Amino acid sequence: MKAETPRQIGARVLRLEDPRLLSGRARYIDDIRPANCLHLKFVRAQVAHARLLDVDTSMLADLEPAVTVFTGKDIGKLSMKSHQDYPEMQYAEQPLLAQGRVRFVGEPIAAVLAEDAYLAEDAAEMVFADFDFLDPVTTMEQALDPAVQPLFDHWKNNTWVERQMKGGDLQAARAAAAHVIRRTYTNQRHTGVPMEGRGVVAEYDPGQRFLTVWSSTQMPHLVRTYIAEELGLPESRIRVIAPDVGGGFGVKGQVFGEEVLVAWCAIQTGRPVKWIEDRRENLMASIHARDHRHTLEAYVSAEGRLLGLKADITVDIGAYSTYPFSAAGESGMAAKVMPGPYDFQAYEATFRSLATNKCPNGTYRGVARPSAVFSQERLMDDIAREIGMDPIAFRLKNIIRTFPYRNVLGFSYDPGSYVESLEKTRELLAPDFARASATAGDPNRRIGVGIACFIEQTAHGTPDFTRRRVPIETGYIAARLEVMTDGHVLIDLGLQNHGQGLETTMAQVASDALGITPDRIYVRHGDTSAPYSVGTWGSRGGPLGGGAVHLAATEIAGKMRAIAAHLLQAPVGSVQLGDNKAFVSDQPDRFVDLAYVARSALRNVDRLPEGMAPGLAAEASVDGPKDGSYSNAVHAAVVDIDLRTGKLKLLRYVVVEDCGTILNPLVVDGQVRGGVVQGIGSALWEHFVYDAEGQPLTTSFADYLMPQAPEIPMIEVHHFETPTSLTPLGAKGLGEGGAIGPPAAIANAVTHALDIGVTGTPLTASVLWHLAKTAREGG
Amino acid sequence: MTRITLTVNGRKHVVEAEPRRLLADVLREDCGLTGVHIGCAHGACGCCTVHVDGSPRLSCLTFAVQMDGRAIRTVEDLGGTEATHPLQQAFRRNHALQCGYCTPGFLMALLPFVEAQVSAGQMPDDDEIREAMSGNICRCTGYQGIVEAVRETIGDALAAKTEAAQ
Ligand code: FES
Ligand code: FES
Repeated sequence: MKAETPRQIGARVLRLEDPRLLSGRARYIDDIRPANCLHLKFVRAQVAHARLLDVDTSMLADLEPAVTVFTGKDIGKLSMKSHQDYPEMQYAEQPLLAQGRVRFVGEPIAAVLAEDAYLAEDAAEMVFADFDFLDPVTTMEQALDPAVQPLFDHWKNNTWVERQMKGGDLQAARAAAAHVIRRTYTNQRHTGVPMEGRGVVAEYDPGQRFLTVWSSTQMPHLVRTYIAEELGLPESRIRVIAPDVGGGFGVKGQVFGEEVLVAWCAIQTGRPVKWIEDRRENLMASIHARDHRHTLEAYVSAEGRLLGLKADITVDIGAYSTYPFSAAGESGMAAKVMPGPYDFQAYEATFRSLATNKCPNGTYRGVARPSAVFSQERLMDDIAREIGMDPIAFRLKNIIRTFPYRNVLGFSYDPGSYVESLEKTRELLAPDFARASATAGDPNRRIGVGIACFIEQTAHGTPDFTRRRVPIETGYIAARLEVMTDGHVLIDLGLQNHGQGLETTMAQVASDALGITPDRIYVRHGDTSAPYSVGTWGSRGGPLGGGAVHLAATEIAGKMRAIAAHLLQAPVGSVQLGDNKAFVSDQPDRFVDLAYVARSALRNVDRLPEGMAPGLAAEASVDGPKDGSYSNAVHAAVVDIDLRTGKLKLLRYVVVEDCGTILNPLVVDGQVRGGVVQGIGSALWEHFVYDAEGQPLTTSFADYLMPQAPEIPMIEVHHFETPTSLTPLGAKGLGEGGAIGPPAAIANAVTHALDIGVTGTPLTASVLWHLAKTAREGG
Repeated sequence: MTRITLTVNGRKHVVEAEPRRLLADVLREDCGLTGVHIGCAHGACGCCTVHVDGSPRLSCLTFAVQMDGRAIRTVEDLGGTEATHPLQQAFRRNHALQCGYCTPGFLMALLPFVEAQVSAGQMPDDDEIREAMSGNICRCTGYQGIVEAVRETIGDALAAKTEAAQ
């Protein structure tokens, strides 16, 4: 037997979950079909802002087969509440079905339950709402206007919260500056749009007094706790299961009113209830994201050193505060991350979240960072242009070089490859810079190269949430491992896998510790039967979930070695695990199968050492380090713009990234590429447009444009690997990073190509046409 | 209600369907073929693609009653539970799927393209491969793995053909 079995961590292991997904045998939420199920259809507000005088359901009374309908009058005080404990924050709740007022198009007004989905939809069309129209608040300007009526009667204005963050001496920085550069940048409202929408199925067993809820969610435990508290049920009698989930991207990383309401309906009707969101509902009433405006003022020395930064950050949060990251989360995050990877020690940010008559704004891959990095990195290019420096040289002059680095807000950055990534990008892009120069005077086309350099706080945990006083409150991830009598392993993982490959990577991690091959390791996840955890979001699965699996597996491995040592009559220190066996290090013939060890631990316990307790199970949890762990990356885009039409072609997209220890390169590259392509959508197309009445104009895939294969180039991914000492395996988070860089990189490339500073996204065909026209006429 | 006969994955199904009932719903609910996924129900994402008499068709834009007497094939029939079809295997090797929700639609949309290229003995370039999937949206992968899987499947089949000819 070879002394070394190849390590699974770091290997390009093909995914264990693929066969069921490829063969059509996965089970998504719409595939959960309890017998005797009622189908629920929501009646949603068709107007953005109105007093709700009455909901007329009388036409449903005589329908055959009979239907059931609930309105705001039936649900008592059931509501969604999500309040960040800031003294300045204004409080508001969203009733699960509207009561007295509607505040965005798509807000649920009534729930209609019928024998099948077609009949439910028919019946929902017979419900009429009587509205007294109110003026909608649809822009940031209106929301900030003191003359405009607040959305909530007890509010003093339409600002959820306005606060400041600061560090260092900004006055001194301003006084020392040779250049003051001030710019305003915007990032449009758009979101994750998973290919599977939301959906909930609930079934109540009155005998057991037990509620089972299936939901297409990223956070089953939080759904369970919220339902228990809101419906007044013991949490021990609720199980929430996320079946296969068809994409999440943060959109399904909130607890939704629909989840609570469907559960309540199942209890009320005594029958299973199922709600499957349609695409129109999904685009107008699930979760929107971004929608930022930032005004930045940079103070720069004569030598090109960034001395200080002042930021004014406004985010349109829409009509309600989402749980558990709240209406303060998005703007606060932007203020927190704006200092980025650069070395300066004076900063002052004012951030505010506004209430408007639009769909609530929540989390989407990157959470505020794509917007913050857009502004930060556009600003770096604009400064470089203004002071006549090369953009990469300017960044290299200001980039953080020594670690750990304490940033201006007091956050500690663990080591990364900031300089190396910038230099590597410059080297990779050299031919493109040459191509760009060659087209500089071309009357018909221009090539531009743009980069985005950024860091991402990942693996954040309880200390971070406590500091921010968000309702999420905690951030640890737990796992329980159990070796069965046959030497196969069950992992009950507190994460939820919706494409990240966790069934594979977590098996790899356990395999290395246990010496059991991944094909014998079953990862069960997305189920509150696992130990309490807050779910999969925030680039925490690898570092924290992987860490928890590693710790629990290591504990079991220790016990297996002790049992094997006893069985082999060898010292414990000489026993190694590998290839499903325990063997004595330099005597390959002396081994025992781990299946035999497991059987000894669980059934033939007479074979155990004297006094050893039976069983081969362990549970562990890992929380995030105090300030998280920082991944870093540089993205580069090369664009070709036709000056006559503005048509943009992405010639090349390069990522140089560092997420610490790589668990599985196949999965890491896939996460990066998928994120980048979403980010390309953010940069160029995706936009939720509302008219002046607050009507959403983008409620189908004909209007809401997502990246499709022909427009997308190959995405080149290069790695540096700087393991962190802050997580058990040295891994940092990487799920979100891909989506963070593209808006900035592409806008910088357009700026470079046309020599016009881009100030916002999306860079749609008409925006590009205008920019190209200006460039043509100016040049 | 209209009574129709469908041959689904080689088996005859007699179904009573309201005229408005979608083929996707009949396949999913009456035939239990839940590999047929709905991503938009308005013909824009390709998730619901199945084969009707060998050609790709959006089952969300098709009424079941239009399909009386037709032969329908869904992803479940390609390579069984273990997904053994060469295109499915290439998807796995090239990480052409993440959440898997779009995957049955991509497989069914791309299979006729792959077969046509192989029988014509030609290797398409990446632009042609991307064009062949332009009716499908994948939100997870960024398409790269799918392009590579298609290229690899065609490449392997062409190589096997050449070998057989020699
Ligand atoms: S579900 Fe049929 S095309 Fe989207
Ligand atoms: S794999 Fe998730 S949408 Fe394509």
